[in-house]
Amino acid sequence: MIWIYLLILTALSAAAFLGGRELARRRAVGAHPHSRPGQHGAYALIWVAAPALLVLILLSVFAAPLERQLTAAGTPDVVAELEHFRRDAFFADAHRVGRGEPALQIWERPLAEQLPVEARRMVRIERTLQWGGGAAAILAAILGGLFALTQIKPQTRARNRVEGWIYGALFICSAIAVLTTLGIIASLAFDSFRFFQKVPIFDFLFGAQWSPQIAIRADQVGSTGAFGAVPLFVGTMLIMSIAMCVAAPIGLLSAIYLSEYASRTTRAVIKPLLEILAGVPTVVYGFFAALTVGPILRVFFNEIGLFLMGGPLDGLGQYLALVQNQMALTAGAVMGIMLIPFVSSLSDDILNAVPQSLRDGSFAMGATKSETVKRVLLPAALPGIAGALLLAVSRAIGETMIVTMAAGLAANLTFNPLDTVTTVTVQIVTLLTGDQEFNSAKTLSAFGLGLTLFMVTLVLNIIAHRIVQTYREQYD
Amino acid sequence: MKFRIFRSAEDQTGAGAADPTESVRMGGQVLPEATSSKAASAVEARLEDATPVSGPTVVATPPTGPIKIAARDVSVFYDGKQALYDVSLDIPDKTVTALIGPSGCGKSTFLRTMNRMNDTIAGCKVTGRIAMDDEDINDRSIDPVLLRARVGMVFQRPNPFPKSIYENVAYGPKIHGLVSAKSEMDGVVESALKRAGLWEEVADRLQSSAMGLSGGQQQRLVIARAIAVNPEVILMDEPCSALDPIATARIEELIDELRERFCIVIVTHSMAQAARVSQRTAFFHMGRLVETGDTEDIFQNPRERRTLDYITGRFG
Amino acid sequence: MTDATPDHIDGAAAKGRLDRLRAGLKRRHAKETRFKWYGRLAIAAAMIFLAILMVRIVAQGHTAFYTHTVTVPVYMDPARVDRAYPQGSNFEQLAAEQQLKRWGIQDDAAGDASRQMKALFSSELKFVAADLVAKRSDVIGETVPLAVPLSDEADLYLKGEISKETPEDQRRLTDQQLAWLDRMQAEGVVGSHFNTALFTNGDSTQPELAGVLGAVVGSALMLMVTALIAIPLGVGAAVWLEEFAPKNKLTDIIEVNINNLAAVPSIVYGLLGLALFINWMHLPRASPIVGGLVLALMALPTLVIATRSALKAVPPSIREAALAMGASKTQTVFSHVLPLAMPGVMTGAIISMAHALGETAPLLLIGMVSFVPGVPHAIDQPVGALPSLIYIWENASERAFHERTAAAIIVLLVFMIIMNTAAIILRRRFERRW
Repeated sequence: MIWIYLLILTALSAAAFLGGRELARRRAVGAHPHSRPGQHGAYALIWVAAPALLVLILLSVFAAPLERQLTAAGTPDVVAELEHFRRDAFFADAHRVGRGEPALQIWERPLAEQLPVEARRMVRIERTLQWGGGAAAILAAILGGLFALTQIKPQTRARNRVEGWIYGALFICSAIAVLTTLGIIASLAFDSFRFFQKVPIFDFLFGAQWSPQIAIRADQVGSTGAFGAVPLFVGTMLIMSIAMCVAAPIGLLSAIYLSEYASRTTRAVIKPLLEILAGVPTVVYGFFAALTVGPILRVFFNEIGLFLMGGPLDGLGQYLALVQNQMALTAGAVMGIMLIPFVSSLSDDILNAVPQSLRDGSFAMGATKSETVKRVLLPAALPGIAGALLLAVSRAIGETMIVTMAAGLAANLTFNPLDTVTTVTVQIVTLLTGDQEFNSAKTLSAFGLGLTLFMVTLVLNIIAHRIVQTYREQYD
Repeated sequence: MKFRIFRSAEDQTGAGAADPTESVRMGGQVLPEATSSKAASAVEARLEDATPVSGPTVVATPPTGPIKIAARDVSVFYDGKQALYDVSLDIPDKTVTALIGPSGCGKSTFLRTMNRMNDTIAGCKVTGRIAMDDEDINDRSIDPVLLRARVGMVFQRPNPFPKSIYENVAYGPKIHGLVSAKSEMDGVVESALKRAGLWEEVADRLQSSAMGLSGGQQQRLVIARAIAVNPEVILMDEPCSALDPIATARIEELIDELRERFCIVIVTHSMAQAARVSQRTAFFHMGRLVETGDTEDIFQNPRERRTLDYITGRFG
Repeated sequence: MTDATPDHIDGAAAKGRLDRLRAGLKRRHAKETRFKWYGRLAIAAAMIFLAILMVRIVAQGHTAFYTHTVTVPVYMDPARVDRAYPQGSNFEQLAAEQQLKRWGIQDDAAGDASRQMKALFSSELKFVAADLVAKRSDVIGETVPLAVPLSDEADLYLKGEISKETPEDQRRLTDQQLAWLDRMQAEGVVGSHFNTALFTNGDSTQPELAGVLGAVVGSALMLMVTALIAIPLGVGAAVWLEEFAPKNKLTDIIEVNINNLAAVPSIVYGLLGLALFINWMHLPRASPIVGGLVLALMALPTLVIATRSALKAVPPSIREAALAMGASKTQTVFSHVLPLAMPGVMTGAIISMAHALGETAPLLLIGMVSFVPGVPHAIDQPVGALPSLIYIWENASERAFHERTAAAIIVLLVFMIIMNTAAIILRRRFERRW
């Protein structure tokens, strides 16, 4: 449907452009026009297209919620009295019936009679909205066009007005970024708020037990489900720490080598290779972790365990022999590998921002390269590198696929890298994939976790960006 | 203090030379008497058929006193492109030698060969022989680290490390392991700062960041950093070009004082500065050393056409 | 000049100093060498990881690119083939029983032998036979050779992935089935060939029939939506920020915002998409339109940053020249600055699209975890995407899906390499040094 409207609008816009240009040419006879006919045409085009597009965008955003409101408002009591999710299912089926598809469920007597009635009503509402919206859009286009035609005069500054519109459009493009942030905050906060109505925020942030699976219905939460997120936070931190232990030294040292020691040819070979490592999608790292690194590490520890069993370290041996694929170490190590190019390229930039004059100064004093690096460059670049590492930490915390595929689901409160832990992101994925009941605390808790994740990474990013910014300005 | 225009090698006491050539300082009007007088016409006439660009170096006056650095046929190539052609120059000890010439003439390149700073530039090749105390510094047996501990360098822009004032000065002695005790280090830092004429200004804030000092103070700090390891030679690459006139004056004064202890080589684009601080001058042009001699001689009585053109401001 | 440090020219003192300098040199150079080796080791470690990653994926995935087909003669028994509704006939059973008979093996009462034989053929056999009967009803009563894929486990055995040494209870094929497979191979009815199904089929529950085409098309549809939304918006935002934005608080907020959005975890965009596009706007779950919108919002910040640096690289002299000719600010930007920055803009766009192609986490949240058979063709129907297919296959229990997961990864990486190479070529070709 929307395609037809867009087609009509395109035709109307083209007509407006051509008409506006022609009109401007005619009216300009004998006068000194400010703008060229084409600019008048563009002006008319904008006045046709912009209002109509605005209507269409509003329609596509608000049509669905409006449709639901209208449907729910006029529904007979038999349907209105249904439980929330049953009613949703009923409406979904009515929708299908309206489109001529078979219903998914078999509905009992009073409802079965209502189904075709409701289906017809829903089709009516949908049509009304679609036709009404389309008509409103075309009306807006025509009104806009008529207004533009009255404005085509030799003295009209059509070019400036068109440029004003362009400026506005470009500004809106930039404002999308702010809208995205607001959208994120709003959508996370809205559902988090509903979650915190069911589960106190204090219990969520400081509770030590996480077992959302038990809570099947919202009204059971108090008795069975547990939403203490501390094990998730600890698991996330544990995996992040392991990842940073791998990524920070390797990334930093390779950045130092590349920027201070490597010859031009070495750099030309290594840098693209690191970029490949950086470009590998995280799902691939997840696959690598689950099917290569996990088994290797498990076998390694199991062998050690078998070797130790029966000896003086029998307890440790027993433990090691039972280590699983899904240990924190697997996910952490692979995440570390993923972060190496990230840390390396950020640190490389930071080191390159240190002025050459400091290196020269140090070499001229008779310092070796490593002394220069250790005593001059690193101290000088320290804030920048700290910022880079913070950004890496933020990425490690938010990384999803590796942990989803290679870490476990068991919410153990442990600092042992050989144990299975779970993370905030794993839980979000687990809670929101598979069967979910809308409105249950279990589903909503994902948004609570999401909000926490967003806030933490946001704060980390802001701090990191500020540090790096100040650092760069120091040498500008 | 009053600035002397020329300081001859003999003028070690530092007594101001009452001079008839005060006007040399006046920028474009250098050597007005030379261009107007009969003698000058004679010079012009003699320079009429100027030597070809690739002619041999004219040694106006040979240096007196012991030679610290002797360069012979030094050529420098960047990625195969020649930047310096067969430069031979004797640099006497305890003297300020100024390298002058238009920008891009190779004077800084030559300066950087003397502490092998060119080693740090990829694709740079140096040929010829540079001997310091009769030892070839480009010899395989010479460690550039050691060489640079003996030949200090000061750069165009002040480049203190982003550390405290104290740590900047202590940097050299620390990396070279010259000083072990903390008290000894305090003494070294203090004496270096005193010699650089900075002690009075920073004695009460040695632990604050060097980045907070003014440009002139930073440059003197860098000089203090260089002399803290007690080098034998100090190379200065346009040390005043980023400074205001007052700071420049202080540095020039300092250079004059340091001459008593060190062999100093200074690159400068300001002929007036060369005239004020140096005893020996070497004029470079298009990668060649054109003329060298006592500063007074070079400025008053250049043997080469190009030298005259340069110091009278016809190019450069 | 007041201090009394020893004069360096004093022979003995100078020599002592030189000796002290020399004494430390060896240790210092050793440290230097060691430090340099740390750097080399770090680089080597990163390269080794990269090599292991790539080698492992190729090693696991290359076997998925060929597969085995068996050709079985099937007598279309008129008694058992339903002429009117061929799909309802049990062709698999028919083929299995006839195969046993040919080999002179007596099926036991429980039909265990024929069940085992049936398990060696892909369920595709039924559709191949049914199609044939539907097209040519005259084959009924005749014996026709049917070329059908082997089942996934049988295929794995012939690829050498299942060993006879493994105890019988630890593999899905019995000793008898393995023997039969050996016999089939000896008879020469089994052929190995390139696995076209992998590229022409959509997802399937049967590994031997599962292909990546559905996911590739799904990803392509999604990227199309992403590109249509993100590129104009991103370029517009970058142009405004770089060329028009006044220096004020609002601009600062937008700039900081964009920098921070670039570092927001991708899963958060998934939550946004779930809450906004699916729960609020009721767009269809798992559809390319929702996926495209989410990926567009996610790609936007990086695109803005890349475009801005491309715009920054255009020297101010171009702008000044145009402005001095009497062009307005808008004309200057759109007819001079933007065209000159275009190669950089396109490079940034391609790279961010490649990045979006590999993004998985947000897709899982908007529903792309469910099984979608076939090849999609509309942007408002549920689809699979390449990365989510990888995730789904990796989770599958059948072993044959593991090699296909690696193969799907190879396909994904090939697409990403093509896109990145295109970006590099574009940059090399049109890069201008000012």
